[in-house]
Amino acid sequence: MSAPPISAQRFIGQRVPRKEDGRLLTGRGSFVDDIILPGMLHAAFVRSPIARGTIRSIDTDVARAQPGVHAVLTQADLAPFGVTMLSFFLGPVEVAMTPLADGRVAYVGHPVALVIADDRYLAEDAASLVVVDYAEEAAVVTLDDARLGPRVHPDTDDNVAALMGEEEADAALEALLAGAPHLVSQSIRHQRIAQSPMETRGVVASLQGESELLVHITCAGPQLVARWLTLALDRPGLSVRVVAKDVGGSFGLKNHPWMEEVSAILAAMLLRRPVKWIEDRIENLTAANQAREQEMTLRAAFDTNGRLIASHADYALNNGAYPMGADANIAVHMFLWAAYNIPAYSFVSRGWYSNTPGLAAYRGPWAIETLARETLLDRAARQIGIDPVEIRRRNLCTAADQPSVTPLGIPREDITPAQCLEKLLEVVDVPAFRAEQAAARAQGRYLGLGLAAYIEPTGAAGSIAVMTGELAQLRIEPTGRVVAVMSVHSQGHGTQTTMAQCIADQLGVPIEDVTIFDGDSSRGGFGPGAGGSRQGVIGGGAAIRAGRLLADKVKAVAAHLLNASPEAISLSDGMVHVAGAPEMRRTLREIAEIAYGEPGRLPPGMETGLEAQYRYDPPPMTFTSAAHACIVEVDADTGFVGIRRWVSSEDCGVMINPAVVEGQIAGGLAQAIGSVLLEDAARDAQGNPTAATFKDYALPTIFDVPDFEYVHADTPSQAEGGFRGVGEGGCIIGPPTLVNAIADALAPFGEVPVDLPLTPAKLMTVIEGQPWPERPVSRFHPDHRAPEVDAPAPVAPAVAAVAPAIAVGIDGAWKLVLATPMGPQPMVAHFQVAGDRVTGRLEADQGSQEFTGTLSGDQVRWEMKVTKPMAITLKYELTFAGSSVSGKCKMGLFGTAKVRGERA
Amino acid sequence: MKPAPFDYIRATSIDHACALLAEAGGGAQLLAGGQTLMPLLALRMSQPFILIDIGHLPELQGIAPHGGGLRIGAATRQADALVNPLLAQALPVFVTALAHVGHHQTRNRGTIGGSIALGEPAAEMPATAVALGASMTLRSTRGARTIAADDLYLGPYATAIAPDELLVAIDYPAWPADAVPLFREVARRPGDFALVGLVGALAIADGRIERAGIAWFGMGPTPIRARQAEQALVGQAIDRIDVQAIADLAIADSAPFDDGHASAAYRRSVGRRIFANGLMQALDRRLAA
Ligand SMILES: Cc1cc2nc3c(=O)[nH]c(=O)nc-3n(C[C@H](O)[C@H](O)[C@H](O)COP(=O)(O)OP(=O)(O)OC[C@H]3O[C@@H](n4cnc5c(N)ncnc54)[C@H](O)[C@@H]3O)c2cc1C
Repeated sequence: MSAPPISAQRFIGQRVPRKEDGRLLTGRGSFVDDIILPGMLHAAFVRSPIARGTIRSIDTDVARAQPGVHAVLTQADLAPFGVTMLSFFLGPVEVAMTPLADGRVAYVGHPVALVIADDRYLAEDAASLVVVDYAEEAAVVTLDDARLGPRVHPDTDDNVAALMGEEEADAALEALLAGAPHLVSQSIRHQRIAQSPMETRGVVASLQGESELLVHITCAGPQLVARWLTLALDRPGLSVRVVAKDVGGSFGLKNHPWMEEVSAILAAMLLRRPVKWIEDRIENLTAANQAREQEMTLRAAFDTNGRLIASHADYALNNGAYPMGADANIAVHMFLWAAYNIPAYSFVSRGWYSNTPGLAAYRGPWAIETLARETLLDRAARQIGIDPVEIRRRNLCTAADQPSVTPLGIPREDITPAQCLEKLLEVVDVPAFRAEQAAARAQGRYLGLGLAAYIEPTGAAGSIAVMTGELAQLRIEPTGRVVAVMSVHSQGHGTQTTMAQCIADQLGVPIEDVTIFDGDSSRGGFGPGAGGSRQGVIGGGAAIRAGRLLADKVKAVAAHLLNASPEAISLSDGMVHVAGAPEMRRTLREIAEIAYGEPGRLPPGMETGLEAQYRYDPPPMTFTSAAHACIVEVDADTGFVGIRRWVSSEDCGVMINPAVVEGQIAGGLAQAIGSVLLEDAARDAQGNPTAATFKDYALPTIFDVPDFEYVHADTPSQAEGGFRGVGEGGCIIGPPTLVNAIADALAPFGEVPVDLPLTPAKLMTVIEGQPWPERPVSRFHPDHRAPEVDAPAPVAPAVAAVAPAIAVGIDGAWKLVLATPMGPQPMVAHFQVAGDRVTGRLEADQGSQEFTGTLSGDQVRWEMKVTKPMAITLKYELTFAGSSVSGKCKMGLFGTAKVRGERA
Repeated sequence: MKPAPFDYIRATSIDHACALLAEAGGGAQLLAGGQTLMPLLALRMSQPFILIDIGHLPELQGIAPHGGGLRIGAATRQADALVNPLLAQALPVFVTALAHVGHHQTRNRGTIGGSIALGEPAAEMPATAVALGASMTLRSTRGARTIAADDLYLGPYATAIAPDELLVAIDYPAWPADAVPLFREVARRPGDFALVGLVGALAIADGRIERAGIAWFGMGPTPIRARQAEQALVGQAIDRIDVQAIADLAIADSAPFDDGHASAAYRRSVGRRIFANGLMQALDRRLAA
């Protein structure tokens, strides 16, 4: 298709206020939890409190008998559906996997049973009464555990989920590295990240008769979810309709349904009632899939001028128990040096299974490459003794280096990281900063400047089969209003505005006259939606081309009606104009009414109506480039990092809406700041989550995120409209920019290990010359020493005392279950009665403790102090009846827990 | 998560609340601002049978002169105390500390008494009460009693307030209008609980320290009075103080621990630095005045 016709572009490039903001900012969005269907039931999960083990038994009787409970489902109930859990690539997942745990549990939070009740309160009440008996096994939590420990999945050969690259060192490459004037090595570690969308996961599923399943779900793309569910459920005759109007962020977590959503959908099919499951924040932070948790050792060799000779990466990625696609993250290696000129690169990359939540995408899933490379370059600059700007200038791929192909086969034709860096340096005066830095240091203040550059693949379609093109379906209604149904879908991206901008320009209508509908798989065309910074490029291209087709039709109709040539017709201000004959102009509404309602007035043979659609497939790869600079001050008394300034210089081609572009960059940078300084979804040695609320999972707040400055280049891409994607960039380039600034600030004290997050406590070790905190040795390593546990108390010698009849019935061992807020806790209690005095011992997984109490009638009371999770006094009160016992335990601030039990 | 079932009763008076507490025999929780209790209920970490709402009781509101000092009603909202002119004049360091308690949104509902009764070891208000030498009036159907802030805190979230007792008011003794305020806090993000913090006041007469009240928060299982540092400061001329030595004494009384946000070593090291800097700056400001 040729260049845009007569209608001048007016909206593309403008800071058009977002059409969706009024609704979203005044609380009038429509999210999954806003969906209420008649007869709807509510789901709550029973989740595994242990990371690895087998399920001996599940007792649902008590839970099932609770008021308002409709069902308590286990995998035995769901198995008949024969669901196949699929990866992101729509193939069956690599390991045996069921919607609810099937005999084994593989992470803390693994869904074991599902309670369906009249409301969520009742469902949770009943869920706490499901008693699951587990045989616990030592958990495989960290990457080291995975390398050394037992298999996470009994049906695999080892814990390697995916392997790519050369396992045996490439001798030629090793020789290049060994023989180089400078060899720089950087080992980095990225912590586990919880994507933390503002709207947690959730689904409302309902069968509409026999042949339609309606699924309201918060997701990245309704069409992709419909495709996934159709394949996973595989029920001939059942059509799946997926609806997601507003979505409060995904960041990769919501690419497709997972165990919980599938279980809730099956429950709705089983009970033939609508079922709602809304993930609460604890579930989201502890049991939803997560991301990152990576280690990389990157080596790079430089010549005497600081030019790259060769590089090698050894990379490991924690896949958790059930990744949404077993992954060794090949994109990391494809793009690691793609912005630079390097003659040779090789790698080995392994994904590892562990007893943790599965790996999901997170904004820029391959971002570790930019973190490793850009921090290595700064280290190299310090080691070789050249300036960080200079080392990048010498190695970045410039216009003169293109077209060219990287060692991994990535073709480069129009990348601009070097221009972005130069534009950045026009705004950031590095020599002036160095002077300020020196003066500050003299006063004991530590300023640092960090730089980074990168390129990012965006707007992909066709390179992996799931990521298809996108469709725009357009009509001018008889009212004259323009309606577009898009297969791209916003999770907060502003596509209802940016797509309208693309369309309004083509049809010459005010932006207010364009309405975008999306988020319903039953409307419009097929397309996977968000992911890989693709919607602006592909959706924008589809919108422009559909708009152009429709404009052509309007012109053809108008030319026929007005006896003019189509070339003389132009569209603007919602009107059709004839060149040289202003009196002949017509409103779009007049043209549309005729086009739909008076077929006889149309050119012979022309289809009625004003409708058009276009399915756009962009060029295979569209690169966005950027360079960022950040200035920090590190407080040497506290180790706190203050961000003074942050400048982004990016080239995302033609900008549809600079405000939306800057919003995307800022959001990504906020997440980068979180990754570098604050967030950590760590698990302890047993695989328990240590950050279960936003008190402990510290997201950056408005106080932690500075106002960013933006510099834009606009090298048009080869895609329609000249657009390049911008969704993930901030989250990719942000981390090394900030890490480099911190390292520069603390250079007088020594090197700062890239071991995220860089907490004040860690940075303080550098300032004070203390060793960096070591990570605990894997429990499966020979050097591992088990933590000291209180030795179980010796069993009291049997006392042959004559006790009252009831007491005889109490002496000995009892199996008890304490229904704590964190789930039922099994224990064994030993009692010894002497008169009205009772001595005993309570054994639980955490250890054992002795107590002394009193007996009155059939009631035993005792108190015991515990120090974990905090210092509280537990007050037990148990009533014995034959071979069973029941009662309660008061737990201070934690309320009262029920106790049930029987003779051991 | 959703709370386990409970009954809700809106108390009509202190006596009513006390009677309800007595009747519940430990199965009740008082609800003041709810900024801690509501999340604990939602997490099912607290499962009371009865919730007794006292947040609105007029008898528990207000800030007024009392016995030479100030009395703060337990259910006085943090946001109201923050803008109270009496407090600003008599106990400026209290207001500084209060500004670090949570966020505007949480202070709008959270109460002074709720924060003090909760006994979070990293919270500002309990340490401020200890440092300034406050005492608490408690009521139950068994009668009223007074307890010193020093004796209130037993461990994390553990206080000497009995399950049937209600905190009615907190009495802060008078400090000279020109007492030197001490306040330093290090928190991951503004509004977070402290990793390490200190609060206190120094009464100065004729260039000498007459009275010192200083307490740590986030530095052990309870708020901790820096007793040795206080003793060493009293009687000293303010231009002769070895702040590093005093800071060492203050650290000697602390008992920090490791948690997910910082190590005990960090808390000790940074605590020493902020103590020394805080003390030095406070004294310098006074000397310059
Ligand atoms: C996001 C967030 C950030 C926060 N940050 C901080 C912070 O930085 N520093 C800080 O100190 N706090 C912080 N808090 C806690 C907040 O200050 C609480 O308001 C306060 O700790 C409890 O006060 P409340 O009135 O809300 O009490 P509630 O939550 O109603 O009650 C707390 C406990 O105290 C008991 N109680 C309340 N009143 C009485 C009384 N009169 N007599 C006896 N017992 C009583 C209750 O029964 C309950 O056990 C934060 C809270 C949130 C949600």
